[in-house]
Amino acid sequence: MGRFERWFSGGLRRLFSFNPVLSDKASLSGKSLGKVIDLFLATWMGKSGTIIIAAFVAFALGADLFLPYDPTESTEEVLEGVSWDHWFGTDQRGRDVFTRTAHGTTASLIIGFVAMGISMVLGTVVGLASGYWGGWKDEIIMRINDVFLSIPWLVLMIVIASIWGSRDLFSIIVVIGITGWSTTARIVRAQVLSLKERQFVERAKAIGSGEWHIIRKHIFPNVVPLIFANAILTVAIAILSESTLSFLGLGPQTVDTWGRILDEANNQSAAIAGPYAFIIMPGLCIVLVILGFTFVGYAMDEVMNPKLRRR
Amino acid sequence: MASFRMVLFKRCMNAFITILLIMALNFALFRIMPGNPAELMQRTPYASDYLKWRNIERMGLNDSLPEQFVEYYKDTFTGDWGISYFWETPVIEVLGGAISWTLLLVGLSTVFTFVIGIALGKISAQRRGKAPDVLITGFGLFFYGMPVFWFALVLMVIFVGNLHVLPSAGYMESGVPVFPLTVDKLADIGIHMVLPLTTLVVGSVAGIVLLMRNSLVDVLTEDYITTAYAKGLSERQVMKRHASQNARLPIVTTLAMDTAFILGGVFQVEVIFTYKGIGWYTIHAIENQDYPMLQFIFFIGGVAVVIANLIADLILIKLDPRVKIT
Repeated sequence: MGRFERWFSGGLRRLFSFNPVLSDKASLSGKSLGKVIDLFLATWMGKSGTIIIAAFVAFALGADLFLPYDPTESTEEVLEGVSWDHWFGTDQRGRDVFTRTAHGTTASLIIGFVAMGISMVLGTVVGLASGYWGGWKDEIIMRINDVFLSIPWLVLMIVIASIWGSRDLFSIIVVIGITGWSTTARIVRAQVLSLKERQFVERAKAIGSGEWHIIRKHIFPNVVPLIFANAILTVAIAILSESTLSFLGLGPQTVDTWGRILDEANNQSAAIAGPYAFIIMPGLCIVLVILGFTFVGYAMDEVMNPKLRRR
Repeated sequence: MASFRMVLFKRCMNAFITILLIMALNFALFRIMPGNPAELMQRTPYASDYLKWRNIERMGLNDSLPEQFVEYYKDTFTGDWGISYFWETPVIEVLGGAISWTLLLVGLSTVFTFVIGIALGKISAQRRGKAPDVLITGFGLFFYGMPVFWFALVLMVIFVGNLHVLPSAGYMESGVPVFPLTVDKLADIGIHMVLPLTTLVVGSVAGIVLLMRNSLVDVLTEDYITTAYAKGLSERQVMKRHASQNARLPIVTTLAMDTAFILGGVFQVEVIFTYKGIGWYTIHAIENQDYPMLQFIFFIGGVAVVIANLIADLILIKLDPRVKIT
């Protein structure tokens, strides 16, 4: 098996299948962090993903320090094409699109990470509870989970966002967070179901450990590597969701985001009349950031789940 | 076969329960959120008083909450889905035509995605590690994380903005009735569909290609493939009869699970290309705070996904005898 494909084959499958196989050493605690990082950076996906994300973090941090334009100040130079002064051209109010994109990076990254946090906590708690309890409680939780998997996410978000009324950064993050937990819950549940039958859990029960102790000390640590890779991929999905919502005019009203820049570009019919950079460049940023997080997610998955690597 | 019937029964029951729960969520969402429906209606300035009164009456907003809940289920099952504030006609009449356009788009894009995805995935897996594989997986990864709306805009820049070869809006020449159908009209519908369809197919084919490739690579390492070669079958025969049949199984499930995402993509595409299907009406309803419309779209979207998953389950049982037992 070629080196090129080893880094991809497992990760993608795991993303799509909901009964991941547990590997024997799939626990973070058994490996030194340094070794994990070494392995991770040895994959080309891990390497390029890290570079892409680091570049965008630098882009976000550098926005205030190095860029000469004010992202909110209107000027006379309206809807200009690409030039040395304006790398991505200017928008309908004469603002520099490159500066706006750079400032939008911060918002995108914050939304991605915080929404991911909410999804992960919700998904893990629900998955743990559902898998560990089993029986009728599990049935009920899974039916509710089905509902969240079935409802088209965009519609749910649109409805919540539009009914909520006021749309600041916080409410958008919450909307994205609470619509994204169902997949995680499924993955965690499947994992817990198989862990529950393992000998070390039986043993813990036999010597009289409490439920809470078993969940915290035996089940949870074995779930972590699984949700870790999943978490990174969730960041990508959250960023994508935000840009879509913003593009449809339902994003945060107080913050300038990539989706919003694209929405304004579309309202100016920039796709037909130009300037094309106004529409293409912010979108390309979204694609790249998502690609970065996807790479890192897959690479993490490969490193933390040795079973996949052996294939 | 008793077990098969049990499986079937359980799947159907689960689907039904899910639909009931979707309705409950739908009911709750529009009442729990800040401002009750009566207040929301007052915020809708253009809706006539009569219409507001009729909707209040219909939703039973003067009754207690449990009574409203029962009323909502009764209405939904008897086909009384409310009256749009904006169009002032029953929701189902407004959306009847739109649903068929959206279904056409979703149906065609699913078929294309399935066929193209499997074909490219096969090529990639057969020549793995070589140039075609690198090319296909590379493109797959790039398009996999791409916002649908952005790709639609890029296509628009190329084909409408620069080449001027394709129409940018609508599902056909405006002002012309769809029926009776003629060849000219069909061609017109076809041309209007090129861009939306391309966007959707490219957006969802990437995931399928990558999945098919990995699934096939997996299957090709199985012992029965070696056996098939050993008994002297040609590569084509092995691929066709042994490998791709098994590799295809996860694709069916994924396509069904993706229905929710495909619907999301359709919404964006419809908005950008002013293709007047469900998605376009959704955005329109949001801009005009047309709550009865939103509520119905929410319901119909959820039901569509549940049914798609049910159908996929049935197909899977047909394709893979092992599923029957579990």
